[in-house]
Amino acid sequence: MAKPKLAFFKFTSCAGCLLSVLNLEDHLLDIVGAVDIVHFLMARRETQPGPYDVAFIEGAVSTPHEVEQLKEIRRQSKVLVALGNCAVTGGVPSMKNFAGSEREMEERVYSETWDIKSIPVRGLDYYVKVDEYLRGCSIDLNELVVLLKSLLLGVSPRFRPHSVCNECKLKENVCLLISKGKACMGSVSAAGCGALCPSLNRPCEGCRGPSNDANAEALAYTFVSDLGLSPEEVRRKFQKYAGNTPAFRKGAEAL
Amino acid sequence: MSERRVYVDYIARAEGDGAIDVVISADGQLKKARWEVWEPPRFFEGFLVGRSYEEVPEVVQRICGICPHPHLLSSLRAIERAMDIRVSDQTVLLRKLLALGDWFMSHALHVYMLAAPDFVGYESVIAMAGNPDLLPIVKKALQAKRLGNDISVVVTGHEIQNRTAVVGGFTAVPTRAQLQGLKERLQAAKEFCVETVQLAARLASQAPFPELVRPCEHVALKAEDSYAIYEGRLVSTEGLDVPDYEYPQWLIEKHVPPSNAKHAIVKGRDSFLTGPLARVNLNFSQLSPDAQAAAREVGFQAPDFNPFMSIVARGIEMLHVCDAASEVIDQLGTPVYEEPRYQVKAGEGYAVTEAPRGICTHGGRFDKDGICLKWDIVAPTARNIYNLEKDFREFIPRLLHLPDEELTLKIEMMVRNYDPCQSCATHALRVNLVREG
Repeated sequence: MAKPKLAFFKFTSCAGCLLSVLNLEDHLLDIVGAVDIVHFLMARRETQPGPYDVAFIEGAVSTPHEVEQLKEIRRQSKVLVALGNCAVTGGVPSMKNFAGSEREMEERVYSETWDIKSIPVRGLDYYVKVDEYLRGCSIDLNELVVLLKSLLLGVSPRFRPHSVCNECKLKENVCLLISKGKACMGSVSAAGCGALCPSLNRPCEGCRGPSNDANAEALAYTFVSDLGLSPEEVRRKFQKYAGNTPAFRKGAEAL
Repeated sequence: MSERRVYVDYIARAEGDGAIDVVISADGQLKKARWEVWEPPRFFEGFLVGRSYEEVPEVVQRICGICPHPHLLSSLRAIERAMDIRVSDQTVLLRKLLALGDWFMSHALHVYMLAAPDFVGYESVIAMAGNPDLLPIVKKALQAKRLGNDISVVVTGHEIQNRTAVVGGFTAVPTRAQLQGLKERLQAAKEFCVETVQLAARLASQAPFPELVRPCEHVALKAEDSYAIYEGRLVSTEGLDVPDYEYPQWLIEKHVPPSNAKHAIVKGRDSFLTGPLARVNLNFSQLSPDAQAAAREVGFQAPDFNPFMSIVARGIEMLHVCDAASEVIDQLGTPVYEEPRYQVKAGEGYAVTEAPRGICTHGGRFDKDGICLKWDIVAPTARNIYNLEKDFREFIPRLLHLPDEELTLKIEMMVRNYDPCQSCATHALRVNLVREG
């Protein structure tokens, strides 16, 4: 059987999720042996055109050029993977969507804006069908390995849809929200990170986007009534990593 | 003879998307030599306005997946300066360790996975791993890169996105056992780092690289008591010597269309170089004794104005990190949790730290509730772009005898000398070569 052809692309993002592939140091040579990486500009100079068995895209879609490129990659690929939170929801770059008009954003950063063509920032599935999602800012390395293995076996990885609270309880952490009065978003955020932040005494900020049963409105009210956050503070929290998602939009607009 | 054009639409083995566009006329004149960053802009400086001071470090570390920690640390220091917040010695040491780990990871990545393939005639480290003679080196390089990553995991919980470092300190601290484990691995890695310096020196000594020297201003941080990484004064080979927070007055930016990035100069002068070569040149005597010895052994003499020696400087700094990080771990002893305590107030602050690829500057203003009114970010690659284009203008005319494919590779290598981080710079790397006539 021919090795599957994998291609890695970068859109509007920081390259951290692509770097995560190279951060699998202990597995990297095995992976390279099992697949044929035909396009990965950060790692190699030679590239091959499609079609691809699996295309991974890191980053959000923020320019007309990226929309066209995305559609072409989709056309060329059997499986399309959204690699990391920016590709899944629009991520950190989508903070711009809630901060003012395109024009305002452009003028705050650049003295000359005639050659800058930006559109509202979206995740990949706003434009095309996405087959697999690797959540997180940045992605979880264990989940990346699970996904690669699953793809080689031709099965879907079935990642956890439940909230960070589940993993936090398994770690027997003291609850940051209830016991320490910190504005932790773990109860509405997707698990898979091993409750990394709360385990380090840092409230969850929802970098993996909403969990499957998120009641973001209830959490928004709790932040205001029990912790004394202002409606503006609550809005900012829900419009950071996944403001484009319906669930977090409800949280942002609850007050 | 016709016009000759080198156009690389996406430069490989660099972070982010950029292009090179070089046009040479029929009579051998360089008509155009541009490095263009095509990364889509992300507008951090736009959407940070209106965000809380606590969110600024959390978000700016996400500017770059390869050098997140310098963005984090520069922003933390700028905020703490704006609000007169003093942090403990332990916090400073943990932050230094984080920065040193970032250098180590990024340099190992660059030397072996991004730069070395050019010098040894492979298209990638993946191809290098296919050669049984090179495989052991690739394996050691991956181990070194993992060590740099593990320093970040121990201090912040993650390879890339810091989880523990916040304004005023840390939400959690590593155990002594974790730190000792790192120290043992750092000491064991020294031998490989010495080999890295030697390998890098051999690679950079191949023709035509030793001939490609271009004196220009080098800028770096300088500290009184150590090889600067986390704080210091801003100094240069042309006599700049100012507090780091004055950088907005001294390092000036121009936006040059059609590139989305901005071009940088020193006030009243010209383009400058920042990065490992500038640091080694300006702070050589503060490198660890073993790092200095390894540098001398391969004939390195500061100041060296050959940009192809940047790969040697990275090797020297990897060896220095083994010693400097071990020293920081000794000073840390057994870290204890300290709750960050401070008062939020209005203020303005600016700060510089040394990213693996050069000075990373952050700063801005907050209102009395800690809401950001303005934020300024300039990543090292943005500082270097203009200087790189001067390298093009100096070096390409000397290499016109080369066939197109080889000339293109040499031009790409001129770019990779800077280990560019184009997401940071609001990116680009394409080579496009045209010879006219």
